[in-house]
Amino acid sequence: MEEDYFSFTQQLFTKSQISSKPEALKGIRVLDLTRVILGPMVAKWMGIFGAEVIKVEEPKDGDDWRTGTYWGKYWKNSCPYFQSLNPNKYFVAIDLKKEEGKNLVLELAKKSDVIIENFRAGLAEAWGLGYVTLNKVNPKLIYLSCTGYGQWGPLRYFPSYDLIAQSMSGVARITGFSEDNTFKLQDYYGDFYPAILGVIGVLSAIHYRERTGKGQFIDMAQAEALMRNMHNWTYMSVAGENLGPTGNFDPTMAPSGIFKTKDGDFISIAIATNKQFKALAESMGAVDLAKDERFSETAQRLKNAPIINEALAQWVSTQTEADIIACAKAKGFAAAPVMDDWRLHQDPWREERGSVVEFEDDMYGKGRWAGPPVSLSKSPGRLKQLSRPIGYHNRYIFKEILGLSEEEILSLEKKDVIGYWDNRVGKRPPTYYDINNDKIFNYKRNEGTQKR
Amino acid sequence: MKKKEQVFSKHMTGKKTQERLLKFNDLLTEMMKSQGDKEGALSDLRVLEISYANSPAVVCGSMLAEMGAEVIKIEPPSGDSAREITHNAFYIQGVGIPFVMESRNKLLITVDFENEQGILNIKKLAEKADVIIDGMKPGYLDELGIGYRQLSMADPSLIYGSVSPYGHYTSKGREFKNIPDTDLTAQSESGYPALTGNPKAPEPYNYPLRAGIWAATYMAAAVGTAGILTALLHKDKTGEGQMVDLATYDALSAWQGFSHVWGFTNEKPRTRVGNYDWCLFPYGYYKAKDGYVTVSASSDADFRGFLKIIKRWDLEDDWRFLFDRIADNPEKLDELEKDFKKEIAKHTTQELTTKSISYGAKAAKDKLRAKGFPIIVETLLPQQVLKEDHWKVRGNFIEVDIKNYGKINIPSLPPRMSESPSKIKWIKIGIGEDNEMVYEQYGLSLPKKRE
Repeated sequence: MEEDYFSFTQQLFTKSQISSKPEALKGIRVLDLTRVILGPMVAKWMGIFGAEVIKVEEPKDGDDWRTGTYWGKYWKNSCPYFQSLNPNKYFVAIDLKKEEGKNLVLELAKKSDVIIENFRAGLAEAWGLGYVTLNKVNPKLIYLSCTGYGQWGPLRYFPSYDLIAQSMSGVARITGFSEDNTFKLQDYYGDFYPAILGVIGVLSAIHYRERTGKGQFIDMAQAEALMRNMHNWTYMSVAGENLGPTGNFDPTMAPSGIFKTKDGDFISIAIATNKQFKALAESMGAVDLAKDERFSETAQRLKNAPIINEALAQWVSTQTEADIIACAKAKGFAAAPVMDDWRLHQDPWREERGSVVEFEDDMYGKGRWAGPPVSLSKSPGRLKQLSRPIGYHNRYIFKEILGLSEEEILSLEKKDVIGYWDNRVGKRPPTYYDINNDKIFNYKRNEGTQKR
Repeated sequence: MKKKEQVFSKHMTGKKTQERLLKFNDLLTEMMKSQGDKEGALSDLRVLEISYANSPAVVCGSMLAEMGAEVIKIEPPSGDSAREITHNAFYIQGVGIPFVMESRNKLLITVDFENEQGILNIKKLAEKADVIIDGMKPGYLDELGIGYRQLSMADPSLIYGSVSPYGHYTSKGREFKNIPDTDLTAQSESGYPALTGNPKAPEPYNYPLRAGIWAATYMAAAVGTAGILTALLHKDKTGEGQMVDLATYDALSAWQGFSHVWGFTNEKPRTRVGNYDWCLFPYGYYKAKDGYVTVSASSDADFRGFLKIIKRWDLEDDWRFLFDRIADNPEKLDELEKDFKKEIAKHTTQELTTKSISYGAKAAKDKLRAKGFPIIVETLLPQQVLKEDHWKVRGNFIEVDIKNYGKINIPSLPPRMSESPSKIKWIKIGIGEDNEMVYEQYGLSLPKKRE
């Protein structure tokens, strides 16, 4: 007899084999000039799927998000959020305002496949590190610029953050119960969503280059990314009115909402199709509902949503979460608990999938972090290293990639062209860590001028 | 760009810089002008999208199509029930808004899955395809003999993207395979509503709050698309295909990752904090005299600038540092915010945004840039966004003609690419609209006419 489907798939994704499988993006070098969330996340994707990512920071202070931590709390002298955004990268620190610093970046750009920057529009160009300059030294380079509004158009020079992009795109006025009291999309959705579209741009451009040999410039606008996933524009153009906030009711599905169970737990239920509604009605012990002409067709249910939502809320209040999930599994409708950080972090399903991983880092020790958000059977993503202090890989990268000698590096250090962390929390190595005896940080320090 | 543009950095001035920016401008002008003549990055790619009541799978297909791939969407003769999903029961020729919007550049055909000839047709199409998107119930296509197991045997270079709530592997995936996808339940399983809303409001307004857009569906679809493209680059290098498995109920929390950070470092969940932020303050929406503004002024320099704009320098001493302004007890912030709210309410949105811009322009000339840039913008309604020139100049909204219906407005897929731009070429929505053409082109046997 043929092996059952889930046994077959299980062995495609066996966790113990991940580290011995090839990496999809190995051999691709990414120069990451970004800070905060949007840019670093594009580079993170590249890194977890095997690209060599070189993150360039300012000496001393580095990426602003090294101190972008909740309630000002740190983990082993590092910002835990920063760790999550910057695994699998090399960390070098170069002063871009100095000519010699710019030259180092130019040299690295010559040897890179992809460069990612999220300075304000025009700034990289003004510094002589923009696409016009880099395209000349490396025509095959793929250059991703991430800004609030793009490099083209009257708003381009205006600054942006996640929340500003949420406001400029109109998404800010959709979450909540009324237009006068709306909520932001939490956890910087205005950065994470544009980031994944940036990834799509870069990967597509690499494929295009494989075929044609051509590099290109990519203009990623944060606000446009958010607009891409709003149904408002299309709806407005045909219905002649806007879509406002509707609280926990998803106006495309009826019934739908977040409801309270008998035990006071919150659970989501949403019914997209007639078939699903029938499954729900059976579970509610109310098969008549599915025959009632107010609810039997999706269009009718949408029109009579308040009535059917009320009936559902009533039913949920007599059930436990486990009861409802059991019905959903058996009959086939969508229901899910409203998870929280702690519960989803401990979720054995996520651990089995590999979207949360136990990882032991050489510098930071054991931790439990988000893994790849999608599973590839032959060339899976993986965590290899957490973040590192500012300038940690200077010697390694400048010697291995640019072929600089120890003396040249010492001279760059002396002129403050390259540098290291300020002795402050968020920037420096963990207190217990013996950086002076770290082989990578001191990479071939004693070889002096021999290697060239 | 006739008028002299306002810049907000001293690095953006000077003769040499201006020359560089002009050259860059020429490049951008050329890039925007010639978008129509260029082929998409994925124009050599053929994709089969087989999905049912699965919006993330539909969006995956749509994104690949916008990047230039030929996407053939296969539906059962009665159509994909994702067509039923729509806002306020508004349909275009019987098709819901989300489905219409995500039907960009696709060819739509029908195949009868319950009929042997139909399966043969899918096999024939699969032979010519580089990518399959499987948005059916996990294991369904395998049962029909056209799942990854069978198709990869015939063509080891095939990329097979499976899209489902709990994934096509793991014990839970097996146990929960009957559960269909919706955005709301995906948000919930990803812990997202638990971060949003006002716990102090009366019931049920104090419940965890759903994001008002399809935050989980679109995030999952984009993650899935990126996964498929990553597999494509592996294939470019090695010739080898693979299975790419996306769990739509997991992708949002796995990609954003902060729930895991919080779980790992605090071993307890966050509680909802209304419109406060855990890392930044002030960073939120405020009521002005005539509308709403968004304030982002969380760095110490930005905060000081903000106090100057609202003329409350007296608050500076007590709240000077960011770590004074973010607290694990959000009630403490109410005290500071009360003062902000009072000041902001005295001004119009126009007054506040103008002040922010002129402050930023002035501060940029400051040598040390220590004066910051407190950003205040109007919190726009979508209908206001539509009027903004910027998006017109960029060609962000595309008018598309639907056959026998008329024009609709569609937001295009960023990023803009200089050599291989994304494009919206057409939107078709009729069930089996391309049957004739596709069946002939791929030598498929025509379905028996149905009554």
